[in-house]
Amino acid sequence: MSLVGRLLHREDLHSLAAPYALDALEPGERRRFEKHLRDCDRCADEVRALTEDAVRLAWSTAAPPPLAMRDRVLAAVRATPQESAPIPEHTPQLPPHVWGAQPPPARVRARRPLFVPFATATATAALVVASLFAVQAGRTQDQLDAERAQSREIAHVLAASDVRTTSYEDAQGRSIGAVTSVSEGQAVVTLSGYGTPSNGRVHQLWLMRPRVQPRSLGLFKADTPLVATGLGRSATSLAVTVEPAGGSAQPTSQPIVQLALKSVGFGE
Amino acid sequence: MEAEELLVLVARGDQKAFEDLYGLVSGPVFGLVRRVVRDPAQSEEVAQEVLLELWRSAAKFDPERGSALSWVLTLAHRRAVDRVRSARAAGEREQREALRAGEPAFDQVAETVEAGLEREWVRRCLDRLTALQRQSVTLAYYDGYTYREVAERLKLPLGTVKTRMRDGLTRLRDCLGGAA
Repeated sequence: MSLVGRLLHREDLHSLAAPYALDALEPGERRRFEKHLRDCDRCADEVRALTEDAVRLAWSTAAPPPLAMRDRVLAAVRATPQESAPIPEHTPQLPPHVWGAQPPPARVRARRPLFVPFATATATAALVVASLFAVQAGRTQDQLDAERAQSREIAHVLAASDVRTTSYEDAQGRSIGAVTSVSEGQAVVTLSGYGTPSNGRVHQLWLMRPRVQPRSLGLFKADTPLVATGLGRSATSLAVTVEPAGGSAQPTSQPIVQLALKSVGFGE
Repeated sequence: MEAEELLVLVARGDQKAFEDLYGLVSGPVFGLVRRVVRDPAQSEEVAQEVLLELWRSAAKFDPERGSALSWVLTLAHRRAVDRVRSARAAGEREQREALRAGEPAFDQVAETVEAGLEREWVRRCLDRLTALQRQSVTLAYYDGYTYREVAERLKLPLGTVKTRMRDGLTRLRDCLGGAA
């Protein structure tokens, strides 16, 4: 592209700052503009200012949310893992003078205990081989996409009018929690503190009903919550067993933990 | 505590800080989402999704790039716009609106209840824009149309719409500056 062409192209992109601040770009354009933003300081300043203007339009629309929303969101927060900061692997590696006297907020260290294994594994893998880093970053994006999809499912359960929560914690601090809706027949189940079973085995979740064989509700993947669907009103409890890789058709061992569902409206 | 400090704590998994953050931002988030999405049930769903996303992604907040509240509201706006655009694409909206014909519009009901000072100021400042500036800005921000759609609706060239949007936002800044 000629210099003039490049300048025109740049000018054209630049004129998208206001539509961008108003979220009025189509997805493709939005990505193109965000790419441009990364090397255009002038645009970044302008977008920042225009975005603050647009946000003033938002303030004037403030309205109190329904009271029940607070309980739902706080319950969801208890059942939802957090994402780490973008590329947190880099931060601990910077020499001290970059930070000055004050170290940066230690995000990785301060994660909830549940997520330490994952964060540590990611950091280690990223640091071992530089070429692995790209793969790792890609996987992380997939993971984030999956987590977002899942947070939509969780949000769906939460939007049910009869959402309830229940949890159980044993003496060692290991816990199971569920956010449930009888009308939707769904539950978001979180397992915490049980670690990953050895030899590729998995944690499998079962639906327990009276006089019926347990039904598999799925396998836990690392520390992510499991969205269990198709829970009938007769469900009495949820149970977790350790099963061979890939899971089993029926439990092959005693449950390591069980959670009664009566308190949340099931078990009729 | 300010939203900035709360977000730092939330990023470290502090649930108590999240409760405080909820108190600070849930009204603006819910109001904005409802203004764009309109359908009450869907608005609630999107607002919950946004608030949950704050918990998940608090670590992504970068104070260098703007204030915490503008980060939160920018996120809320984007999710609301995404929702309204996919609903529009699916034609659901027209269907629902047809079903609801006869009921008072959701907005009118809400607006009689909350007429805040800020709302008054913004309205006054919007009134000071030219009609095209105002329509370009509000069709995009409050109704979730892309600037191409805005250009089509207003029968204006794309370049003109982009300029009206920029001029409209800048004039709003000058006018609202005094109300901050």
